[in-house]
Order: sequence, then C-alpha cells, then structure tokens
Amino acid sequence: MTELPQELARASAMLDVRRFDEASALLARVVSAEPESSRAWCLMARAHLGAERYTEAISAANRAVSLDPADEWPHRLASNALVHLGNFPDALRAADEARRLAPGYWQTHVCVAQAALAGQRPGVAAEAASRARALAPNEPDVHFLSGKVSLARGQLAEAREHQEQALALDPAHSGAMNELGRIRLRRHDTAGAIRHFISAARATPEERIYSRNIDVVLLRTVSRTIYVFTLVALILIWIPAVTHLDRLPFVIALGMTAGLTAACFAWIVLRMPREARRLVRRTLRAPRVAAALALASGGVAVAFGLVAFAPAADLTGVLPVAVVITVAARLAAFAALRGAARKHLRVVPVCCPPR
Amino acid sequence: MEPEPTVLDSLRKAVEAMPDDVPLRLHLATMLLQAGQRDEAVRQLGAVLQRDPGNAQALGLLQGPAADSPVISPERAGSPAVPPVPHATPAGADAGKTPHYDWSQAEDELRDVLPAMFVGGGETEDSASAGIDEADAYDTEQAGLTLADVAGMTEVKQRLEAAFLAPMRNPELRRLYGKSLRGGLLLYGPPGCGKTFIARAVAGELGARFIAVSFADIIDMFVGQSERNIHELFEIARRNAPCVLFLDEVDAIGQKRSQLRNTPMRSAVNQLLLELDDISGNNDGVFLLAATNHPWDVDSALRRPGRFDRTLLVLPPDAAAREGVFRYHLKDRPVAGIDLARLAGQTDGYSGADIAHICETAAERALMDSVRLSEPRMIGLGDLEAAIGEVKPSLGAWFDTARNVALFANENGSYDDLAAYLRKRRIM
Repeated sequence: MTELPQELARASAMLDVRRFDEASALLARVVSAEPESSRAWCLMARAHLGAERYTEAISAANRAVSLDPADEWPHRLASNALVHLGNFPDALRAADEARRLAPGYWQTHVCVAQAALAGQRPGVAAEAASRARALAPNEPDVHFLSGKVSLARGQLAEAREHQEQALALDPAHSGAMNELGRIRLRRHDTAGAIRHFISAARATPEERIYSRNIDVVLLRTVSRTIYVFTLVALILIWIPAVTHLDRLPFVIALGMTAGLTAACFAWIVLRMPREARRLVRRTLRAPRVAAALALASGGVAVAFGLVAFAPAADLTGVLPVAVVITVAARLAAFAALRGAARKHLRVVPVCCPPR
Repeated sequence: MEPEPTVLDSLRKAVEAMPDDVPLRLHLATMLLQAGQRDEAVRQLGAVLQRDPGNAQALGLLQGPAADSPVISPERAGSPAVPPVPHATPAGADAGKTPHYDWSQAEDELRDVLPAMFVGGGETEDSASAGIDEADAYDTEQAGLTLADVAGMTEVKQRLEAAFLAPMRNPELRRLYGKSLRGGLLLYGPPGCGKTFIARAVAGELGARFIAVSFADIIDMFVGQSERNIHELFEIARRNAPCVLFLDEVDAIGQKRSQLRNTPMRSAVNQLLLELDDISGNNDGVFLLAATNHPWDVDSALRRPGRFDRTLLVLPPDAAAREGVFRYHLKDRPVAGIDLARLAGQTDGYSGADIAHICETAAERALMDSVRLSEPRMIGLGDLEAAIGEVKPSLGAWFDTARNVALFANENGSYDDLAAYLRKRRIM
C-alpha cells in the first residue's frame, strides 16, 4: 500500500478524537493490505483497547511484537489490556519488558506502576512511579498515577499532593479529581468527596465512573444511617428492662432517636452541593432504598411497640423477641439495598497508551 | 494469496463494530472468497445488498459463490406463481443472472393483485411520497430540501425559524431590531436523529449552496496541513456565497484543546477559531451550521458569542417523524399491510437509525423465510413488530451521558432544554 503513512496518520487522528470503531475499520483494511506493518498493528491494538475489546487488543499487540520485537509500544499496549482482563502477573511481565526495551521513556515506568498497582504490589508501583516522575516531572498522568500509588499505600497527604500537582498541570484532569474524592472519603468527609466527584463528572460527563461513585457514596450514607439508627434502637430497647421507666419516656426516646438520625442525615445532605442534593432526593425515592428505609423504621417501631406495651412482668420474655425483630429489620434493610454499601468506588486508569 | 486468519478476524471485528460500512463488508467478503469461505462470503454480500441493493461489486461477487449458496434460485424467484419482489435483495441480486425474465413486465402484470403497501393512516401512496423525502434525513444527500420535507419535529422547526431563519430572511426587520447575524448554529442531540438532514433543509430554506464537511473530511484535514485545509474550506464557502457551511461532527474538529495531545489537531482548532472570527467580520452570505452528538466535548472557545453561540437540541423523532422514517425505509421493499401509525406508536424513544435497523431486520426475517420456503413473500406488519422486539433503542448510552451533563455541567443553563426533556422522560 503506497498510502500507508497517510492511512496510519488518519487512523492516529481518529484515535486522538476517540473514534475507536472507525479507526478499527480503517486499520482492518490497512493490516489486510500491509500485514507486516508493526505500527498498524499497534494502532489496531490501541483502537481495540479504546473500544474495550481487550482480547483483540492483546492479539494485535502480540502480532506487532512478533514483527518488531525491539519496540516497547506493543508491550505497553498488551500490558494495559491484560490489566483490564485481570491478568496482573502477565500485565506486569509485559510492562517490565517495555521498560527493559526503553528505560528512558517515562511511559514504560507508568505502565509498570499501573500493572504493579493493579496486581497489589504497591512497593514495585511506588518505585516505578518515582522513576517516571524523575523522567517526566511535568506530565499530569505521572502525578496522577503517583497519587494512586500513595493512596494504595495509605499515604493520604502524599496522595493528595500528587493529585493536586496533576490538576495544576492539567486543570481538566477528571481522574485526579476523582482521586481527590476518594482521599476525602478516606478522611470520612462525604460532602467533600462528593464535591470532587461532581467536579470530575462535570469535566468528563461521558465517563460514567464518576456519577456511579456519587451514587455509591449516597447509598453508603443511607446505609450507614440505617446502621446507626438500628444500633441505637437496639440499645434503647433495653431501657425499660434496666430502668423500669414508664411508657412515655420510652416512646419519647424512640422519637428522639428517629429525629436525631434524620437530622444527622439532613445535616450531611445539606453540606453537599446542590447537584448532589438533587441526587439524594432521587436516591431516596428509588424503590430499593425506600424499601430499606421502610423495613428498618418499621422493624424498629414494631420492636419498640412490643417493649412499650408489654406488661412489666412479661418484659423478659418480650425483650429477646424485640431484639430479634430489630436485628432482622436491619438485615432485611441491608438486603434491600442489595450490597450497595459494599460496592467499591471505581478508579480511572491512565488513558490507553499513545506513543 | 490466501489471507491470514488474524486478518480475517480483525476484519470481522471491524465489520461487527461498523455494520453499515459497505466497502468494509465488501473487502471482508472478497477476503473470505479468497480464503475459500464461500458461505460466510455470501452472507456478507447479502448484508451488503441489504444496505445497498444495487451494489455492482457485490452483485458481481455473488455470481461466483451464489450458485453454491442457499439463496433463492433465479428460476424460483422468477416463477410466475409468486409475486415479483422488485427490490428484495436476493431476488434483485439474482435478477442479473436471468436476462430472459422481464421483471418490469411481471411487476406490471401483478401490480393490481398485490395488497396495499401501507394501511391505517389516511395518506395515499402519493402523499406518502412526501414523507419519503422527509425521512431521507437519515441516509442520503438530497439537494433542494426545505423544512417542509422534515416530517414532524414541529418544535425543532419552530425554534429553528425563530433563532436562525427568520432573522436571515428578513434583513429589513433585522436592521430595525438591531439583530446581529454574527455566529452560527450548533445542532446537537443523540446520534441518528436527523441533525444532518435538518442542516440540509436549512440550506434549502435559505436558497443557499450547501457545503457539508463530514468526519472523514475532517480527518483528511488533519493528515495534511490542517490549518491550510481549514482556511481553504472557508474560502470556498466565501466564494460560493450564499452558502451554508455545515461542519458535521464538529466535536472531532473542535474538540476541547485540553483533551488533545496531538499538536496538529490543536492548531486545527486554533485555525478554525480564526476562520470563524473572520466570517463574523465579513459574513455576507456565509451561514455556519454545525452538528455534534457531544456538545460538551466541543471547545468552549468555539461556543463563545460570535462563533457557535446558538444551540438547538434535535431530539429523537416524534411519532410523525417516525412514520416518515418507516415509510422511507420500506418504500423500496416488498411490503403489504403495514400500519405505520401503529409502528410509530411502538417505537417511541427509537432513533431514525434504529428504525432503519428495524426495517432491515424485518427484511432479513422475510428473506430467511423466503429462503426456507423457497418462495418469496412480502414483509408484513408481523415482521416489523417482531423486529421491534429484537432491536432495542440505541440511545441509552447517549442519554446516560446527557443526564450527567444536565446534572453536573449545566451551570450556565446551556442545557436547560435537554434537562427539561430528561425530566419529562423521567431519565433525570
């Protein structure tokens, strides 16, 4: 094919504007005409990576490796795809090979750090990230990745510093904003975390990870509210048995518990940005959340009712039943939330590796 | 030389990703023939002919493998006992192999005994032809269109008239009210919903020439000297005034510079800004229109006053537009007893491209039945309804992103109309 450089440039331009399917179609024609072009196979791998076709990306990258074994790029592409497929040892091996071939190129160290981080080897990741920073101190992705590594090692202050540096270099780096949100969350600052997630979603609305993270945080907040409410209720149920108080103070205590829990939740919500408050309304109206709240409050009300209306003589028999009802309500509420509270926050990887 | 399996696999993946890319399918079919995989080649050629019934290359390639494949034999297809299927893909494909059979005559003879194509709705065949043009929005180029050719979408037309066309057409009133003509109009909305067609209709309304710059043209610009190419494009528009310059998929050319690592593309955006400002200064007869599925990816500099400062949301087709799209995609196919209003009612939330896909799926179903029964049959309402069950609306991903935009990135109210639509549809 005489037009190979132009076709590759065209494909490269398509990849730059994230038109992965069009690029794949063009590159399929190119590689069928020029199957010996290593660069064409690399671009093909990058197109597949962008379109989340990881197995195909690995095949294309392997083909490029067989054509030009001294090139580091296909190893990085393969490593990236392997990380997405969860094959971390092979991803790290491919990244290591890329680094061996081009030790002076910062991207190879970023690739090693990313694979090591995914494979739960923060020590290796930290060392590679440090080397990448030395080679390319002005690359936002290097600081972004360094921040992720620091967060994985529990170094919150350092992680925050790196992400802020990434944002200073690229104010629209939504990945760094997302990471700052995760750091805030580690510090139990829900409102602050949501603010960062919203900034990330605003900067890159097509990336669904950020809005999903907001949903996860909101669901966690609801879930924790239910947890605290049922826990306090569980303690309060013992009051009549221990103190032999009258029915009225007991009912007042229940009302106060419910009121305080609702006030705490409202306080958390009010500290959130306007956009998040709108989402809270939607979250609370969601059927499974509404069901969870109804189960928890209904269960606690029944348990309190049993204890409050039981004659003092029967209290010892009624109390275990009330405890069981409260615990069951809590478990049922969590089941209604269907593991929302256990969902992990998502992180964004460094973008698919260009040359 | 026999192609390698990896190459064939790559081509298959590419075809899966771009099912409507006819040249790519033809390329795959050619390679499959070379590899001796005739059955799959015939399938690919059949798919090509579904999308482009007269494709000479596909017909030529079919001459070889078709004899061995389970498509309808010309003798059967040409049997006087069955109604003619003038535009059906397999029959059309085989028609080239039966020079002795006069398809036109057969069509004339049987015209009276064929059932009506469309039922329900009050429109006659003649009035339906107007609808055919309306829906042309979704695939082909057509000169001389006006907004009257756009089926349904009344709200979009009204807003277009108020925001763009009325000031353009009334220079005296424009001067009286001091209304500026600076800037262009950015059409945005989900993919496959008629933005390009509306742009052509606007050109028709203004009686202007129409220069459309597609994504492929944009990419070609980046391959050469992008700044010079962009400058030349605008010069051509100025020379051809009155002229509508339409930049399709403007997010590709005007992507946020912060997202672009590639220096030539960054400079292309800068050049585009320069040209837009030049046009604003001397805009006699050059009207700027652009379309994008992702306005949020367009560099904010492009959307400042005097550039693409007016936006118009083009939403999925309403019921009237959907009827038009169905009518267009079925007009050249052998159909009978189709209740367009009923189909339109069942496809709320579908894009024009989705409806085209439904029609293709229904045609495929009828084709497969014909192959099985060795007797061509008409495409019926049942085929289309079954296809609607199979084809799901493709706009979910777009609306997910749109929801994020309306929720988090609508600080200055740019997406209020989108937010209102999402609330109305209970997406937000």
